[in-house]
Amino acid sequence: MSASATIAAPAISTEHLTRRFGDLVAVQDVNLRVAPGQFFGFLGPNGAGKSTTIKMLTGLLAPSSGRMQILGVDLTQDSVEVKRQIGVVPEGMALFGRLSGSEYLNFVGRMYGLDRSTAAKRSAELLDFMQLVDQPKALVTDYSHGMQKKLALAAAVIHGPKILFLDEPFEGVDAIASNTLKSMLQNMIARGATIFLTSHVLEIVERLCSHVAIIHRGQLVAQGSLEQLRAGVEAQAAAALSAAGAPHQMGASAPAPGERLTLEQIFLRIVGGTRRADQELSWLG
Amino acid sequence: MAGLSFTPEIRGQFSAIARVRWQLFVNSLRTIRGRMEVVARGFVFFGFGMGALIGSIGLGFSAWYFVSSGRVDWLPLLLWPVFLFWQLFPVMASAFTENVDSSNLLRFPLTFPSYFMIRIAYGSLDPSTALGSLWLLGMVIGIACASPALFLCAAPVLLLFAIFNILLARMFFTWVERWLAQRKTREIFGVLFLFVVIGVQFIGPFIRHFGSRSQPAVSRVVAETLPVERLLPPGLAAQSIAHFLRAEYALAFGSIALLCAYTLAALWLLNLRLRAQYRGENLSEGVARSAAPAAKQEIQLGWNLPGVSGPVSAGLEKEIHYLSRSGPMLFTLLMPLVVLLIFRFSSGKTDSAGGLLGHASDLAFPVGAAYTLLILTNLVYNSFGADAAGIQFYFVSPVRFREILLGKNLTHSLVLVVEMMLVWAGACLLYRPPSFAVLLATISGVIFALVVNLTAGNLFSVYTPKKVDLATLGRQRASQATVLASLGIQAVVLGLCAFAILVARAYHHIWLAAIIFIALAAVASAIYFLVLSRIDAIALQRREAMIAELCRA
Repeated sequence: MSASATIAAPAISTEHLTRRFGDLVAVQDVNLRVAPGQFFGFLGPNGAGKSTTIKMLTGLLAPSSGRMQILGVDLTQDSVEVKRQIGVVPEGMALFGRLSGSEYLNFVGRMYGLDRSTAAKRSAELLDFMQLVDQPKALVTDYSHGMQKKLALAAAVIHGPKILFLDEPFEGVDAIASNTLKSMLQNMIARGATIFLTSHVLEIVERLCSHVAIIHRGQLVAQGSLEQLRAGVEAQAAAALSAAGAPHQMGASAPAPGERLTLEQIFLRIVGGTRRADQELSWLG
Repeated sequence: MAGLSFTPEIRGQFSAIARVRWQLFVNSLRTIRGRMEVVARGFVFFGFGMGALIGSIGLGFSAWYFVSSGRVDWLPLLLWPVFLFWQLFPVMASAFTENVDSSNLLRFPLTFPSYFMIRIAYGSLDPSTALGSLWLLGMVIGIACASPALFLCAAPVLLLFAIFNILLARMFFTWVERWLAQRKTREIFGVLFLFVVIGVQFIGPFIRHFGSRSQPAVSRVVAETLPVERLLPPGLAAQSIAHFLRAEYALAFGSIALLCAYTLAALWLLNLRLRAQYRGENLSEGVARSAAPAAKQEIQLGWNLPGVSGPVSAGLEKEIHYLSRSGPMLFTLLMPLVVLLIFRFSSGKTDSAGGLLGHASDLAFPVGAAYTLLILTNLVYNSFGADAAGIQFYFVSPVRFREILLGKNLTHSLVLVVEMMLVWAGACLLYRPPSFAVLLATISGVIFALVVNLTAGNLFSVYTPKKVDLATLGRQRASQATVLASLGIQAVVLGLCAFAILVARAYHHIWLAAIIFIALAAVASAIYFLVLSRIDAIALQRREAMIAELCRA
């Protein structure tokens, strides 16, 4: 990989990325482009193909067809080189439960090629930063879910990756831990790293991410900066308003006149997710 | 167990559990691996079925002979082996024993009696219970053929004996699980075990010292232990049948009452453990949170092995940490010593020429070494089983699978070396130190067997991984297909080794075997490195199946 290629290339790019599971097409012809330094949110309803895409981008799943490039390097051609440049918090967190936090980070650091003193020093720093030092002998399996999430994130960054892939990093994390994670991620962005995250917490994505892509039923239905997405949806809404003549016919996701659309409203408008009011479970107490 | 009334709700829960387990089985058939598992289970079932049939016929015939020839007092000779098999097999043959996790049932509104029954039902599906029950059935039939009138007495007595065995095995399992789950209790358990091993060494000298010159020590011991034997469950079951035959009903019912007492004691102890589990006991090794403000994290350097790359050193360190925190695995690693002990005292003789290996005591070290290889099967053939969700890390990190497996293989080799030293010490203490030629032949044979096992183990670890829990007793079993295939490989390798040793021994040139083994090990090593060079590509090809299996909840 030449230096010029690294500078010019997008951090992440996919071409016609497709993944089938038997007859089911989980991801179809996805063309993603994430520029270096972007904080990129990858959204979609449950089962839309988010996790499948992120798994393919991190080497956990082979694509059925299409190409993926990370920092200009083809993932299937030189996966080891790509993996040196990326950090991942996958869906299952990839933790080794019978190690202590310090042992785990040391292990991960050395697997990424750090020498043992660097791995040990960074492990200690990360445990301090993540406020995981009060139980130095506790095993990872005995950590709370939030502590495990923090440890998984610490492991993903121990080698100083250029790109960070995070699958639902804020799921099950309390407000204090969430703030710790957010400040760390923002610091990484400030230093030039690229972050690609999936999340269902749209408020957090809206606050953190500069760019967003939305996948629905395996297909990429929107991609761009938040402003671009907002402008596109507002233009569609305006067109629909003039055609229908009444705002209530647009559903609950319609903004009041003059109000800025939130990411949640944009998301609901794009994926068309509204539930009928009569769909209640009457037997629930 | 008061309160276990089969209300419609409880019946519904039981049938739901049975249905979901059936559905899980049916769903497992959707994959090739699932179908392979069923085929492998078929073979295992056939093997155990044959064992059950032959054992039932043998025990039935023996029981018939003892009763019909008036030697009914010899029935304990049949019940003791059944009892020992029932209790020891689940621990010694962990490859066939599975301790199903039923803790996830606790979220449902199950009553304690229902939970208790479910745990008993899960635990009763293991081979030792099936075989033990069928053997006792064979005995009942044998007794009934010899004396039809005795059937009505023998059947309930042996049924009670079967219930006692089921409860005792479950009780033993749950208590050992408890002791091995935490470091403190694990250490106490380990020390107790060592005391037992050392204590056994004093039996021989003790008998020689106090035994009468005119009376052989063994007869003296047997005479003195017989009354004690009659007070233990196998003796009680046999005695009650004998008393019924002699119309000594008071004594018969007395024996049954004592057997009932043992059964109730086992039930009570099991009840204590299961109730603790039912109340949500957490046997983690978590340490109490310190009240003092957290100090800064100390810098802890990882291991550095000379001549080994960083990732391989880190892998070895991680594996050693895992093993050292696995009570059940550490317990299993002591089993070769137990086998030597059993062989040593199996014939009741206590002098240096006693036991099954009495006439070939120089074979004690090779036999112990062979058993050591067998107990490593679950580790070597399912290397990624304990990593669980951690397997994802190997696929997202830049480390190569050959390095990961090298780290694991180094650990397994290290464990084998330590085990071999233990077995050597055990063989020296219990028999006599093996001659240099036997030592050399055994070590070279083990090197050959180890390389073959590591090669096959690496492939099976990638092709048929199975999530295991090293911290819980009975949850270390590899997939059934792996177990069966590994046993086939072990049989061929150990058969080859045994044949070479026996031939060399017959010609009084044991060193010949060593030369053959070293040549075989050289060939096996070439294949090992060939497999290792291709393992990255194979792992990448198998990644989805590996992740799906190892990351399942």
